[in-house]
Amino acid sequence: MKTTIQEQDGNMVAILEGKLDTGAAAEAEKAMNPLYDVEGKDIILDCTALDYISSAGLRIFLGILQHTQEKGQHVYIRGINDTVRAVFTITGFSNIFEFI
Amino acid sequence: MDNQVKLDAHGEMLLQQFRRLRPKLEPLAQEAYDLLRHALREQGIYVTAIEQRVKTEKSLTGKLELKGAKYKSIDDITDLVGLRVITFYTDEVDKVAAIAKRLFDIDWQESVDKRKLHDLNAFGYNSLHYICRLRTGGPRFELQMRTALQHVWSTIEHDTGYKGDVKIPDVYMRQFNRLAGMMELIDDEFSRLRTVLTDYRRQTLMLVKNGKLDDVPLSRDSFRNYLDLQPFDRLNRRIAAVNQAEIWPVSVMSYLPVLESLGMETLGDVQRLIDDNSDDAHQLALSQLAITDLDLLSSNTALQYLCIVHVLKHGGGREGLKTLFDHINGESDANAMLADMMMEQAKSLPFMLQGGHNI
Repeated sequence: MKTTIQEQDGNMVAILEGKLDTGAAAEAEKAMNPLYDVEGKDIILDCTALDYISSAGLRIFLGILQHTQEKGQHVYIRGINDTVRAVFTITGFSNIFEFI
Repeated sequence: MDNQVKLDAHGEMLLQQFRRLRPKLEPLAQEAYDLLRHALREQGIYVTAIEQRVKTEKSLTGKLELKGAKYKSIDDITDLVGLRVITFYTDEVDKVAAIAKRLFDIDWQESVDKRKLHDLNAFGYNSLHYICRLRTGGPRFELQMRTALQHVWSTIEHDTGYKGDVKIPDVYMRQFNRLAGMMELIDDEFSRLRTVLTDYRRQTLMLVKNGKLDDVPLSRDSFRNYLDLQPFDRLNRRIAAVNQAEIWPVSVMSYLPVLESLGMETLGDVQRLIDDNSDDAHQLALSQLAITDLDLLSSNTALQYLCIVHVLKHGGGREGLKTLFDHINGESDANAMLADMMMEQAKSLPFMLQGGHNI
């Protein structure tokens, strides 16, 4: 699992690669910590190269969403594959996030 | 101070009294403001604004120039400190007044309910003014209470300067009168509408509590009241038990348009959605979740599966599911994939086989 944070077009983007499963969650959460400090920018979670997400990964996403919404900013999920989208759907979270 | 204004000796004397009094006025304004704001909040009265101000020397000088002789001492001028409460509705003006009576000593000789001053030919649309004093003593101050529309009127009235020296022709006065009447009518209608809606909400709540759900049209208010009964909790817990999952609370209100799109018109329809489909929704969720280690579910999960089962049982098939996901997630080509996934999962379940819905 690899996580890269970078600024793109005025947004903060977290590029996630590999499997965000229980084993990788702690490290991924640490890598995404800077997103909690983002002010005045929207956040994009780029899942183009994300193969799988577990409940632990969903918790990280939801934590970022909750924190960001309180500041009046948006969290967008970009480029998820069918497997990851299915996880969002069967857990009932598909209408909580904004997918682009 | 405006240099062009020349006060007579009496006016100058009053101005000197004001300058000596002024250090006491700011704390007075703040204390009265704090008392009022706290009391309104305590009583659950939400207003559009509470304002306080101490009269400026320039403003006072202007007043003294015009009618200084009317006042024996500065204590006779009652609006050196002014507070204003702007409410949403007319009946709230009286509530604020009742609170003011409890908080302050009211000088009834000086207080004016301008709302009652209108005679047949009078023009105007004004507010309730109380002259008050803190219970601990000190100078008097003016408290204006008015609705937002009254405030708008007052501001426009001031801007047009109709009370100025020039006599306004009758034709324009008539226009003022017509507008004033209209504003008063609108204010009353807003209050009336609020009362009607409050009654409606109360009745709806009673019907929901009494279980007369078929009599309650599906709406934002009624659905919110219905959710207080936690109608989806039991199914959520059954589904969560599959993987010992945590249920993450999210707003279920976003499903209201989804339910409407499925033709639900009353809370009775929603209750039937639950009663008729819970076991099948549980089966469908079980078939998907049991093969995963997902132990986190949104509190929308039960309702989502209920809707899916409803669509399938009503012969909606793949297209129906695609449309459902378009309503849930917003339109997207990806929803076709989700529809296929659900069809695949559901096709071997008893409710599909018995109903022949997978054909």
